[in-house]
Amino acid sequence: MPDSTPIRTIDCAEFQEQLPELFANSKGGRLSDDPVYAQHLSTCPTCSALVRDLEYIAEQARMLLDPGSDIDPSEDVWNNIQTALAGTNGDEGGGKPNGHSPH
Amino acid sequence: MTQTNATPGMFKRNPPIAGEADALERAKNGDPDAFAKLYALHKRRVYTLCLRMLGNVSEAEDMTQEAFLHLFRKLGSFRGESAFSTWLHRLTVNLVLMHLRKKGLQLVSLEETINPSEEDAPKRDFGTADPQLSGSVDRVALERAIATLPPGYRLVFVLHDIEGYEHNEIAAMLECSTGNSKSQLHKARLKLRELLKQSEMATRQEVA
Repeated sequence: MPDSTPIRTIDCAEFQEQLPELFANSKGGRLSDDPVYAQHLSTCPTCSALVRDLEYIAEQARMLLDPGSDIDPSEDVWNNIQTALAGTNGDEGGGKPNGHSPH
Repeated sequence: MTQTNATPGMFKRNPPIAGEADALERAKNGDPDAFAKLYALHKRRVYTLCLRMLGNVSEAEDMTQEAFLHLFRKLGSFRGESAFSTWLHRLTVNLVLMHLRKKGLQLVSLEETINPSEEDAPKRDFGTADPQLSGSVDRVALERAIATLPPGYRLVFVLHDIEGYEHNEIAAMLECSTGNSKSQLHKARLKLRELLKQSEMATRQEVA
């Protein structure tokens, strides 16, 4: 026999209060299969839009780790590293870098 | 019991790079060309990480320089327990956090010290039918929005959502609770949503 226990209803404030924890527990997947939250999401366009947007932002952020998004520092950075290491003797670390550009 | 410093999430995201192992061994033995090679292989990731954490080109360049100088001194202590890039990124993150502490940004209590002012904080979204994001936010707009986040939000967002650190790792780095890290991340995403919506509206107005 199906369970006829009514699902507890929550309001937007309570739902949004729980969101940081729900997202943290979702590990990149969908928010929650808990019927309490699912019911609220299916009936509240504001909260469902909010969740979709926040999931979208997290998804886009993950894509920023793609090497294609990385930016080159200016040539000055390498020049300054060489200058700083010019007086360092080789036994302190990886040896004195030469004057060649690594680019 | 054996302990490891490797962070599985990061290791998966940082597979070995061709030529890196050889350059690493040679750099450890004092080969200057090999150190230059390591710089060439990792400068973009290190600089981009610094830029995202600091939101400032000049400071990011200084910290990139600092990270590679530190690498030069510490290269011998790399034992290969995690991917080299994971180790280098962690070293960079620690240097940036140390730099921020020196600047007076107290990371110990995120809630009290780097919580943004009222106008910087994200607005609550109860019952208002705000327009949804278009679903075509470009990288430039997102990077720009991240750069304008308040420092506390930005740090947690970059470390978690971009770099893939877990809340417990972030909490340890920032010396705060995991609950605090979760809460800051959520507020960061809410604030980004606001900023991206504003940016979309401005673009629409320009086109109209």
